[in-house]
Amino acid sequence: MEIPFVVNARKDTGLFNSKVGIWLFLASEVTLFGGLFSGYLFLRLFADFPWPERTLPVLPGLINTFVLIGSSVTVVFAWAALKMREWRKFQIHMSITLACAALFMVLKGIEYNAKFHHQAVRLSGGSPVEDFAVIEGHVHKVKLEGDHLVHADKNDQEAFYANQLIFKAESVTFALKRPAHEAYLQMILDQAPEGVEITLADDYKVGGEVILEKGEPLSVEMMDQLEAAYLDAISKDTKIRTAFEKASWKWIRDEKGVTEQGTYVVEMDLWKERRKEDVKNYSPLMLRAPAEAEFAISAPFNLRLDPDDVPPGLRGDSQMTLRDDTVIKGQLLESPIVMAVDAIDFRHTAMRAEKEGIDPMKAIESSWVLTHQPKGHGVEHSENTLKKAWECHQAWLSFETERLEKKGRKPTDQDKYRINWDQMIAYQQLDFDPQKVRSASDDGTLYETHLFDLSGFAGANHDKHHFPEVEIPREKVGFESTFTPKWNTYYAIYFTITGLHGLHVIGGAIVLGYYLFFGRKMYESNPEWLANRVEVGGLFWHFVDLVWIFLFPILYLM
Amino acid sequence: MSAESHDHHDDHHHVLPWWKKYLFSTDHKTIGIQYGLAAGAFLLFGFFLMIVMRWSIAYPHEPLPGYLSWIFTDGWKARWLDDGKVTGDTYNMFGAMHGTIMVFLGVVPLGFAAFGNYVTPLQIGAPDMAFPKLNMASFWVYLAGGLIMCMSFFMESGAAKSGWTNYSPLAGVADRQIVNQLLAGQTQWLIGLVLLITSSLLGSVNFVTTIIQLRAKGLTWMRLPFFVWAMLVTGFLLLLAFPPLEAAGIMQLMDRMAGSSFFMPSGLFSKSDGVLDLSGSGSPLLYQHLFWFLGHPEVYVLLLPAIACVAEIIPANTRKPLWGYKPMVWAVVILGFLSFIVWAHHMYLTGMGPVISTFFQTTTVLISVPSVILLTSMIISLWGGSIRFTMPMIWAAAFLPMFGIGGLTGLPLAFNLADLHLHDTYYVIGHFHYVVAPGILFGLFAGVYHWYPKMTGRFMDNTLGHLHFWPSLVAMNFLFFPMLTQGMAGFHRRWYNGGEGYIEKDPEGINIFGQTVAENIHLNEVMTTAAFALALFQLPFLINMVVSYFWGKKVTSDNPWDATTLEWATPTPPGHGNFVTDPSVYRGPYEYSRPDHDKDYFPQWEEPKRSTEQESDSPAELAPVADDVESQSGEGEAH
Repeated sequence: MEIPFVVNARKDTGLFNSKVGIWLFLASEVTLFGGLFSGYLFLRLFADFPWPERTLPVLPGLINTFVLIGSSVTVVFAWAALKMREWRKFQIHMSITLACAALFMVLKGIEYNAKFHHQAVRLSGGSPVEDFAVIEGHVHKVKLEGDHLVHADKNDQEAFYANQLIFKAESVTFALKRPAHEAYLQMILDQAPEGVEITLADDYKVGGEVILEKGEPLSVEMMDQLEAAYLDAISKDTKIRTAFEKASWKWIRDEKGVTEQGTYVVEMDLWKERRKEDVKNYSPLMLRAPAEAEFAISAPFNLRLDPDDVPPGLRGDSQMTLRDDTVIKGQLLESPIVMAVDAIDFRHTAMRAEKEGIDPMKAIESSWVLTHQPKGHGVEHSENTLKKAWECHQAWLSFETERLEKKGRKPTDQDKYRINWDQMIAYQQLDFDPQKVRSASDDGTLYETHLFDLSGFAGANHDKHHFPEVEIPREKVGFESTFTPKWNTYYAIYFTITGLHGLHVIGGAIVLGYYLFFGRKMYESNPEWLANRVEVGGLFWHFVDLVWIFLFPILYLM
Repeated sequence: MSAESHDHHDDHHHVLPWWKKYLFSTDHKTIGIQYGLAAGAFLLFGFFLMIVMRWSIAYPHEPLPGYLSWIFTDGWKARWLDDGKVTGDTYNMFGAMHGTIMVFLGVVPLGFAAFGNYVTPLQIGAPDMAFPKLNMASFWVYLAGGLIMCMSFFMESGAAKSGWTNYSPLAGVADRQIVNQLLAGQTQWLIGLVLLITSSLLGSVNFVTTIIQLRAKGLTWMRLPFFVWAMLVTGFLLLLAFPPLEAAGIMQLMDRMAGSSFFMPSGLFSKSDGVLDLSGSGSPLLYQHLFWFLGHPEVYVLLLPAIACVAEIIPANTRKPLWGYKPMVWAVVILGFLSFIVWAHHMYLTGMGPVISTFFQTTTVLISVPSVILLTSMIISLWGGSIRFTMPMIWAAAFLPMFGIGGLTGLPLAFNLADLHLHDTYYVIGHFHYVVAPGILFGLFAGVYHWYPKMTGRFMDNTLGHLHFWPSLVAMNFLFFPMLTQGMAGFHRRWYNGGEGYIEKDPEGINIFGQTVAENIHLNEVMTTAAFALALFQLPFLINMVVSYFWGKKVTSDNPWDATTLEWATPTPPGHGNFVTDPSVYRGPYEYSRPDHDKDYFPQWEEPKRSTEQESDSPAELAPVADDVESQSGEGEAH
């Protein structure tokens, strides 16, 4: 059996099968990306926060645009070469296409990586309106010395990023209703210092029989045992109760003969009466396995908890509930976020203030960023650097406003309320002195030093520049995240669409690569078929390019 | 199939190993049967979930009887049942999965993938699908997606429990307590869904390409059987409507796995977690738009294959052409187009605003026009026919009024004023179950009885068939009609205890709604009894399927129904590659009882007697000239 029109076109449609197939597939892809693009529109139009504009590094995106356009050209050359039966030429052009794909993904990777390591904190509290100032930067590595955090070297074994909750654990209680998450259990065991024992606080009894004795040390295996015992016990209890229930209903239906329609209410009254008796009868038979197991900790120790593992509503000063219902009792220590600040953004504060009818500048001035007393670990701070940076920004802004006025324009919200990382570097290089900033602005030297700074290719370079330090107390943290989909809906849609697009690039490259590396055999037996395949792959490749051409402006430029 | 095997025209001598022949087969017929069996199994499972739910509705305080609960382990019962009784959570889980399974894993694969796969290439005279390997991949991806969804019943979180529509933020919050989100039922639902969409994408590309490219010589567009037209439109619907849901699925997956807030509004609060640790500013409405952009065309994806089956069965059993073939073709194409612009009639209560509601109300009323054309044409097709009441015909005949009830009860829901009252009540449930169960499923049953002889070479047993049909017809109506009554009385579709909590016991009480509930609650028992009966009378069908395969009456010809379309030109059952010789088509698909022909059917593939025609030169013989293959091959395709 042979499928017709695989290689040659059908006369009346003028197409071979896979060409019809790929066009249909692309139509489907259009609606897939159409769904995502309309998601972008929806989210942007109805956003209740200042939508980030021109926030991504344009250069990598721009290079990527040309890289993809270039590869779309070479893939056509590769196809043409096959049509002309020039294998060597096909190899060259297809290799360039694949190299472009690789370069695209590498640049994308650099861009993503910068985001994954870039922290943002939205503040909470404040007056006259909720603070909502956003601090961006890199989180420091710290370690514990006693109950305090101190700066740590990057390569220190004990070092961790300073955005964890530090909790002095005194006891831990596992819920048996659902299995404890093994990773959590392991985390507690791993973090317990040598010599500290975590042991069962009471005998675990099921129906009077001791399953595990008090003092048994915590381990993964024993938790499995406890959970199994609990599940077994409630299964048995349920079985007994179910049997009683069934017997009662049999009695109601048979003895009382209540089966007519509309007697539902009568049945219910009978059932409720009968139930009281049942409870009396089965109560002594119940095994009554405790639904939780408490463990004592011989000497309280400091536990580092990832904020993602403890929902904010379940964090208390003396009790933490993890997502698997494990309860840790003890005391919450100071758990600040310590970071080097490369940008400050008051746009959200200003937006909120305007909504409330308050002068945005007044709201900003009362923000914690500008009013807090600096405090440092290892780094000495005599004054609030962020406040000085803000003053520098005002100096620059006054210059910028005058400059724009001459052209009949006004500064944007971004100009007014955001200190971007390149500005932060400039102000820092001018010792955070507003007068120097103003004069540097006037003579145009402000940006000179780093306008073409390629180390800032995908964002602020923290290795090269020193940024002001800040320690944000946990209670001031309203919402924090790295620049991942969690941070806001803009980054969510950015990662989702570009990620899906990246998967298309990889998928396309794999298919084209297959033709390049394993196509020789087919080239020799049926070159036209291979040309068809490359043509179809090339069509897909053009589509992938087209998607990027839409993505670049809406995500990077608008 | 490949260039290497170019020289061997005949693959029949190739003996394939059994696993290639039955398991990882690329033959569209085997894949169709695989789809049919898998979908059948999923349908039975979905039916079982429904029976458990119906028990809970009618007898909320009574433990599940042993014959329903034996399937669960003791541990599962301890966790998910309250002393043997169905809890609200469990009911939600079963409800969400019942809908999901029936729609995505049951009816669509059965109608489109199973029948479409088996019958379409045969009807267009193709040796196989255009992309046989993609076809195989489509089935296995579907099965993987389905199993992943169903496996979540055994996870700690249980299966998805936020309705089959999976609305955010409810669906985004559910199962948040599960640390490893890959093991949460709600997440697995999404992963399963993404796989199902991938499967349907592979399938629909394949169907449409096959229909465009692999039609036999002379099979021009207006000579395609209506079945093929319906499959073509269905293919386009799946192709274009499913991806936006995939986008929504990916976004919801991001919400779950990456903590994003696509569909999570600001300030979302949950009782257990307090204010959720989310950025907010997401849009729940966006999810609903994306979901229903698929959701509504999906209704026609369910429906069209069933109509397609019925449209084949009626001409074959009335022995006259399908009345209004051309209007039907146009109707189905327009129906497909309109189905893309009616989706928001599922969202009248979201506060989209009256302008948008009015637009969608208008398009919704418009779409009833092509639907009525289809149904009316089929009813008129019965007129004056000498009807053979074969087993398939009985089912097809029942389809017409049953689907009619389903369609007409939908009209009040199209108007947003009436919908304010009826939305989310049992009326809606009654309406779409009339469409899907006695409508679509009857159509598909008709299809099973119709093509079973071609698939196996044996007829299905008539007695068992009647034992299946009549009780099913009665039970279906006792099951679904009371839903309409209860719905108009205001019964909410998601009450797990059948409304027991709302009853007003005092006849003088001022709780009027409670009295309405009390007046109608006894219908729960009626419906539950009917559901049990319905389950019981599917047994004859299952027995029939198996028994007839081994001992059924053998067919004596390749065309046992004396039908006209190409699938009956193949050997029985058709071998790999389907046709013994390349078929040519000389005429339209429903040439029954032609006065100029000696038999009461004139198959598409039968060559006209040209020599005698030309010699006799009688006016009656001039007509078939237009049927000539050569004259049709070129310009006829220009449609």
